[in-house]
Amino acid sequence: MGIVLCSIALVGCQVLGDSRRSAMGTLQIQANGEDFVRQGFTSKDGWGIDFSHLYVHLEDVTAYQAEPSFSSDSDVPMQVVSEVTLPAETVDLVAGDENSPSVAVGQVAVPAGQYNALSWKMTKAAEAPMKGQAMVLMGQAQKQGQTIDFMLKVDRELAYTCGEFVGDERKGVVLAGKTAELEATFHFDHLFGVRDLPEDDELNRSALGFEPLAALAKGKKLEVDWTTLKTQLSPEHFQALDAAFSDLGHVGEGHCRSDVVTS
Amino acid sequence: MFKQLVPILGLLTSVAAMPAALAHGVAVDYRVTSANVEIEATYDSGKPLANAQVVIYAPDAPTQAWLTGTADAEGRFSFTPPANQMGNWQVKVRQAGHGAVLNVPVASNSQDAGLQVAQDSGLHESHAVNPVQRGLMSFAVIGGFVLTAVIFSSKKR
Repeated sequence: MGIVLCSIALVGCQVLGDSRRSAMGTLQIQANGEDFVRQGFTSKDGWGIDFSHLYVHLEDVTAYQAEPSFSSDSDVPMQVVSEVTLPAETVDLVAGDENSPSVAVGQVAVPAGQYNALSWKMTKAAEAPMKGQAMVLMGQAQKQGQTIDFMLKVDRELAYTCGEFVGDERKGVVLAGKTAELEATFHFDHLFGVRDLPEDDELNRSALGFEPLAALAKGKKLEVDWTTLKTQLSPEHFQALDAAFSDLGHVGEGHCRSDVVTS
Repeated sequence: MFKQLVPILGLLTSVAAMPAALAHGVAVDYRVTSANVEIEATYDSGKPLANAQVVIYAPDAPTQAWLTGTADAEGRFSFTPPANQMGNWQVKVRQAGHGAVLNVPVASNSQDAGLQVAQDSGLHESHAVNPVQRGLMSFAVIGGFVLTAVIFSSKKR
């Protein structure tokens, strides 16, 4: 009789263990530079911009279950129920295509639930291809027969803290045994502006555009780092550049809070 | 059904017009009246998200749209949650690459005098144990009780 009881107890424990494991799912974190990066676009000042690579080094990429939901526009600190952090990773935002517009940052097993907040840091990489830089933008800009091969090296380190993903689909809802996605989105239209929008559109009024950068080119080549940009751009243009990078990080269409990383 | 909801919403009305600024650039306020939940979305500049796309998610189905619609020229939209679906109603508002998600807690006023903020929709547990597993666990527990009773009854004899 004792053997029977023990067997039943063991079966019960096994079932409970299985149920706990089945309450896990997978969360994939992705990075997305949107069509601006993958397909190119025309800046607010008429420069056709095509990127060959756009490297960004991501660190402390953390997904949260926050309750209540976190508002990046509020001073109220995030109330974290659970969180999971991925290892640092360098991604090339140009690598996405029409079928898979986002590039993978990593994935991790997580307890099922709604991951309604995401944060990450953009920090200086320790290894090639962008050693010492947090972001490197490489490509070609063209306007009225003029062509400039550009490389913008950014060692400005920023931390973005965001609420829930806002887009066509709902992201971050992990069901038991299923995989869900979250996305760190980068809005480069905030940096260069967009020709398709009116000049007085708020985005275009605040964007730097490409013309101030083109003015720093030597012949057909522009290779500059953050320090050079700070010293050679006008204060107004550098302020626009700095503000654009602070506003670069999004979760889909949802904006994020940004802070300068101080190590 | 709506009449059942009125007293619940009536309580909520006392804390109506709770601001919920969700993100840089877009702020969404909600107001619960005796008739429905009203949403108003504006940019930081105060300009309304005119004709913005609005998607409503019920508390028990966070990935399936319960209702879709379009805000009016003032960025306003309203909906009426069923009385039997308490919890966090989630409202997504989008326009021209900008947007925000708003949580609207709707709770029962059954025994409590005040507003109850709805808790998580319970994804963790509701999907954690399937029917087969639940049956096996029930069998194990009930079987244990039965066998224990058999043991004790046999000792008494």
